[in-house]
Amino acid sequence: MREEIKQIQRLLEEQIYIADAAIATALYLSMVLGKPLLIEGPAGVGKTEIAKALANALQTRLIRLQCYEGLDATTALYEWNYPKQLLHLKLEESSTASETEKEAMIFSEAFLLKRPLLQAITEHERAPVLLIDEIDRSDEEFEAFLLEVLSDYQVTIPEIGSIKATHRPHVVLTSNRSRDLSDALRRRCLYHWIDYPSLEKELEIVRAKVPAIEASLARRVTEVMQATRSMSLSKIPGVAETLDWANALVALKAPELNEEIVAETLGCFLKDESDVAAFKAELPRICTDV
Amino acid sequence: MSDEEVEKVVLFCRELRAHGLSVTPAEAVTATTALQVIDTTDSYEVFVSLRSILTTSVDDFPIFEEVFKRFWNSSLSTRTTVRIQGTLPRQTSKGLAFFLENWGSSFSAGAQPIKVPGASDTESATAKDFSEFTNEELEEVSRLARRMVRRLARKPSRRWRPVKRGHRVNLRRSLRLSLKTGGELIDLMYKERRPKRTKLVVLCDVSGSMDIYSRLLLQFVYGLQNSFAKVESFVFATSLARITGDLKNKTYKRALDRLSANVRGWSGGTRIGASLAMFNELWLRRIDKRTVVIILSDGWDTGEPEKLAAALSLLNRRAGRLIWLNPLLGSADYAPVTRGMQAALPFINVFAPAHDLASLRALEPHLVL
Repeated sequence: MREEIKQIQRLLEEQIYIADAAIATALYLSMVLGKPLLIEGPAGVGKTEIAKALANALQTRLIRLQCYEGLDATTALYEWNYPKQLLHLKLEESSTASETEKEAMIFSEAFLLKRPLLQAITEHERAPVLLIDEIDRSDEEFEAFLLEVLSDYQVTIPEIGSIKATHRPHVVLTSNRSRDLSDALRRRCLYHWIDYPSLEKELEIVRAKVPAIEASLARRVTEVMQATRSMSLSKIPGVAETLDWANALVALKAPELNEEIVAETLGCFLKDESDVAAFKAELPRICTDV
Repeated sequence: MSDEEVEKVVLFCRELRAHGLSVTPAEAVTATTALQVIDTTDSYEVFVSLRSILTTSVDDFPIFEEVFKRFWNSSLSTRTTVRIQGTLPRQTSKGLAFFLENWGSSFSAGAQPIKVPGASDTESATAKDFSEFTNEELEEVSRLARRMVRRLARKPSRRWRPVKRGHRVNLRRSLRLSLKTGGELIDLMYKERRPKRTKLVVLCDVSGSMDIYSRLLLQFVYGLQNSFAKVESFVFATSLARITGDLKNKTYKRALDRLSANVRGWSGGTRIGASLAMFNELWLRRIDKRTVVIILSDGWDTGEPEKLAAALSLLNRRAGRLIWLNPLLGSADYAPVTRGMQAALPFINVFAPAHDLASLRALEPHLVL
């Protein structure tokens, strides 16, 4: 394995992110080739966590853009600070400045509200990590717009002109696959898929993230979670839920798992009424089997 | 990097294409670049690197893995893929064109109720089964369809557009305008929510088993098509035909004439899975989250249910909503137990009847995304 990839793995581990060789390689290539990394996978497997851990590991800023339907350039890129502009015009009322001078003044960088994409491009010190979270929740117009920004890391503001990235940001996009992304965007990115972790990996994550937990309890918690995922539920719990549950058990000072404790705390990892009912029916089996 | 290695990557990409993955030349270039910056003696590293570059979805992973294993172990494989070309079984039943032509003629014959065995005996207009509708009542179906689409087009979206008069001030434009008056806001500009652009795609089953309902449902589709919303319509039986253009005719009669000429030669059977797969191949690119897909069918499929499930799963992921209207659902003793319907159910967002006016009216809230 290449030394740089090992180093990325080590750096992420320092941030308490258990990274396998595949994700470390994907991050390495994304940095070397200067391509955005698209990460897909079910909810709660740590897609967003990667970007956070990466930013900490590189000791750089994390700039996050949360996507939703109707997200547009004014919320993603920039907007003019209207109250400030109005105030400025009022103050300048008596000045002799011409209309063009006034215009140039209020449409300058001082009156610009930088939204995440512009922030990421104009970051001066070092390349930030730009996290575009849940891109599948935005609409097609925004996807097309994003494609433009990601192709040359340059944006044009009519009143000011073109702004080119001083440092090319490390871009991480996440998607829950609630809709198919366009081919153009997919091809622009490197692709990585994160699935639910294996028992060993999940156990490792629990031990790392919840250090206070007893080794035997950690194993039991992980085993129950793995068994839960094999049931046909409407909302399959992710690693985030496992950690919530482990934390709750530690807080409750539960020495071990029995049916009673599981029944009391299953709200930590089951968030759907019908799932809770289905799980309770299987509870004796799950508690004895594993 | 040696020419030999570059050639190997190019051949590998070609092999992936032969197995159905679409690999662009740009991606092949990226792949060769990547091989220069990784440890090529570590085969797992080569595998995950090439996978992250040459695949665009987890669905491609199994194919990629298989091709990779075969290619990188036995080096240059010369195996070519064999495409199995199937021919559609030609049935010698009366065929769709016959039915369509007959609808056309019965239409011009005047107000004659179509008698169907086992039809419902309720008399009120909205609860009356479609199978016994008169032509005037059919006209009502068209009106209903147009009214529904009109209402749809008025729903606001989350995006804004500038307007001369409205309730919300468009500060960006207003400020720019105010510069003309020395920074004094005199004339305000406004903005409003852009109307939601829901698109409709209607796929109507016109096979023999749907005969009694197709006439009416096509009328419904005709009504939808002739409103100002974006509607694409298709009919299918053993094959699929786009009828958007055909339905854009002044009268329903002429629309039907065009239609029957178009689908002449189709047999009377149903292959829903194959028809939907064909739809996906040709039209899936046009489907997005703002598209409502409506399938009008009784679910009697002579094809394999797996094919139907695969096609629907694809469509479901892509579309904003997938609605299946089954006229048989209107009768109390119907249960969707056919293999086709069973395979389809997990991928359908709304499963509703479509046998009378009330059931079509009840559809309206489902059309709003």
